[in-house]
Amino acid sequence: MIHTWAWIGWLISALVALSITRNPLYLFLILLCIALVGWTQERRLSSESSQTQNLLPFSPFKFVLVIITLSALFNAVISHFGETVLFSLPEWLPFLGGPITLEALAFGAINGLVLGGIFAAFTVLNLALPVRSLVRLIPRAYYPVAVITSIAITFIPNATRQFQHIREAQAIRGHRVRGLRGWLPLIMPLLVGGLERALGLAEAMTARGFASSEGGNQTSQTRLGMVLGLLMLFGGWLLRLIEGGQLLGIGLMILGITLIAAMLWSIGRSVPRTNYNQEIWRFRDFLVLIGSMVVISAFLLPIPWIDQSTLHYNPYPILNLPGFDPLIGAATMGLLIPIFIIKPK
Amino acid sequence: MTKRFSTSRLLSFLTYGVTTSMGLILLIYPFLFPAITQKSTLGQARLTEMPLLLTLLLALCLVVLLYEVQGQAVDTKLIALLGILVAINSALRFMEVAIPGPAGFSPIFFLIILTGYVFGGRFGFLLGVLTIFVSAIVTGGVGPWLPSQMFAAGWVGMSAPLCRPLVNKLDGEGKISEVIILAVFGALWGLGYGVVMNLWTWPFIAGPADQYWQAGISWVETLQRYGAYYLITSLAWDFIRAAGNFLLILLLGSPTLIALRRFKHRFTFTYRSSYSQGSKLDQKGDTT
Repeated sequence: MIHTWAWIGWLISALVALSITRNPLYLFLILLCIALVGWTQERRLSSESSQTQNLLPFSPFKFVLVIITLSALFNAVISHFGETVLFSLPEWLPFLGGPITLEALAFGAINGLVLGGIFAAFTVLNLALPVRSLVRLIPRAYYPVAVITSIAITFIPNATRQFQHIREAQAIRGHRVRGLRGWLPLIMPLLVGGLERALGLAEAMTARGFASSEGGNQTSQTRLGMVLGLLMLFGGWLLRLIEGGQLLGIGLMILGITLIAAMLWSIGRSVPRTNYNQEIWRFRDFLVLIGSMVVISAFLLPIPWIDQSTLHYNPYPILNLPGFDPLIGAATMGLLIPIFIIKPK
Repeated sequence: MTKRFSTSRLLSFLTYGVTTSMGLILLIYPFLFPAITQKSTLGQARLTEMPLLLTLLLALCLVVLLYEVQGQAVDTKLIALLGILVAINSALRFMEVAIPGPAGFSPIFFLIILTGYVFGGRFGFLLGVLTIFVSAIVTGGVGPWLPSQMFAAGWVGMSAPLCRPLVNKLDGEGKISEVIILAVFGALWGLGYGVVMNLWTWPFIAGPADQYWQAGISWVETLQRYGAYYLITSLAWDFIRAAGNFLLILLLGSPTLIALRRFKHRFTFTYRSSYSQGSKLDQKGDTT
C-alpha cells in the first residue's frame, strides 16, 4: 500500500532518531511508535492471511524485550561503574566480580533500547515490503546479482520441497538421520540434483538469448571512480575522528558517497529494466515522507526553539531523571503516519 | 590488448586491496586508532553514531567489491550455477532458522568453503555474500548487521583457495589430507566469523565509553578487554560453529568435492553461435 521508497524513508528516520539520542524517554517513545506501526502491519497481514511474511519462529517484539533485559543484565555484570550499589558479586569471580550498580543496569537498558529499536524498525520493514520489492531495490548496475537473487528466490521453495522428497524417499528405504553422517544421503542428492538443474537452466537461458558477457558493463573509469569514492569516504571518516577535522571529514564523505552513487547511476543507465507491477507514488507516500523528515529535522537540525541538549543522557555517575522537550516528543509522532494509511482488509 | 589487460588487472588488484583492507580496518579500528580516538571530540555521540556509520561504510565497501567481482566472475552458466547453489544454501539456512541447531552451529559455511575452494575465490565470495543476502530477504533477517554478515561470509568463500598451496605441497588432491585441511580451515573460520561479527557490535553494546576509549588506553589494553568480552560472551557459541564446520567438512567433504569437481568439468564449455547462409541459427557446445 505504501511505496517502497516511502518505507525506506520511514526506516531511515527511525534509525537516525535511534542513533542520535541516548535519552531513554525518547528511545521508549520511538520504540513505542515502531511497535504500533509493526502491530498495525501484522494485523493487516493476518487479515490477508499471508503465509510468507513472518517466517521467524519467535515474536520479534518479545525478542526486543529480551534484548533490553539481557543488555541491562550484561552491562551490570561487566561494568562496575556508578554510585548506587545494589549488591556485590565476589571479587574472586574473573571479569564479573565487583559491585552491581543501578547506573550500569540503566546504561545497559539504554543500549538495549537502541539495539531493540533498530531490530524492530527492520522487522517492520521486513513485514511491510514483499520480497519482490526488496529485490527491486538492487541497483541496475548489479544486474547479474539481481538475476542470481531472482533465480535463488524462485528456487528456494523448490529446493526445500526437493529436500522433503529426498528425506521421505530415504525414510522409505529405512534411513534415519543419526548424527552428522546421517545427513550425507540427504545433502548429496540435493546438491547433485541442484547442479543438474543449474546445467539445464544455463542451457535454457542461453537458448532464450540470455547472452553471457565478459566484463559486463564495467569500464576502467567506473571501476576507478568507485574505488576513488570509497577512498574519499574512508579518508573523511578518518578525518572525523581527529579533532578539528569534522567539517572537512563530513564534506569528503558526502563527496565519496556522491561519486559512488554517480558511478552506479551511470552504469545503471545502460541496463534496461521493466516492471510488470509498476509502483505508483501517491499523496499518502508524501505524507509518510513528510512525517519522516519531521523526525529527522527535530533530531538532527539545529532548530533554535528545540532543546536538543535533552537528546543526550548519561546515567553515570549517579542516576538522574532525563530531560524531555515536548516538541521533540511531538515530532517523534511523525513515525506513526503509516498507521493511518495501513488499513486491514 | 596486453596494456588493457594489465590495466584491468591493476584495477582489480586495487579494488580487492582497498575494499578488503578497508573492511578489515573498519572492523578492527578500536585497536588501531587509540591515539586518534582519544583526541576525538565526539565523545558519547560517537558511541551511538558509530555503528550506523560503520554499517554504511561496510555496505559501501561491499557495494564496490561486489561490482568488481560480478563483472569478472559471472556469465550465463555461472549465473545459473550460483542461483541454484544460493537457493540450496539459503534453504539450509532457512532450516537452521526454523529448527535451530546447538548454539552457533550453521550448515551454510560447509558449501561456501568447498565451492570457493573448487570454483575459485570470486565464486566463493559471491556464494557467501548472496547466501546471506537471499536468506535474509526470505527469512526477514534484513538489518544493520547484514553488511558485516555478508562481508564475513564473502571472505570465507574468497579465502578458501588459500588452502590450495598446502594441499598441493602435500600432494593431497582427492585424498583425506585435502579434506582435513579444509575441515581445519572451516573450523578456523567458525571462530573467525564470530570474531568479525563481534567486532561490529562490541563497541556498541559493551559498557560505558570510558571502558574502551578513555585517554591513554593502549591497543594492548583494548585487546585484553576485547579478549575478556569474547571469552565471556562468544567463545562457547563460536566453538560449536567451528566444531560443526569441522565435522560437516570431514564427513561430507569428500563426496561433495567429487561432485563439485565433476560439475566444474561439465560446466567448462562454451556456446558458439554459427550462422551459415540459408540455414537456421544453431548452437554448438564444445568442451574446452
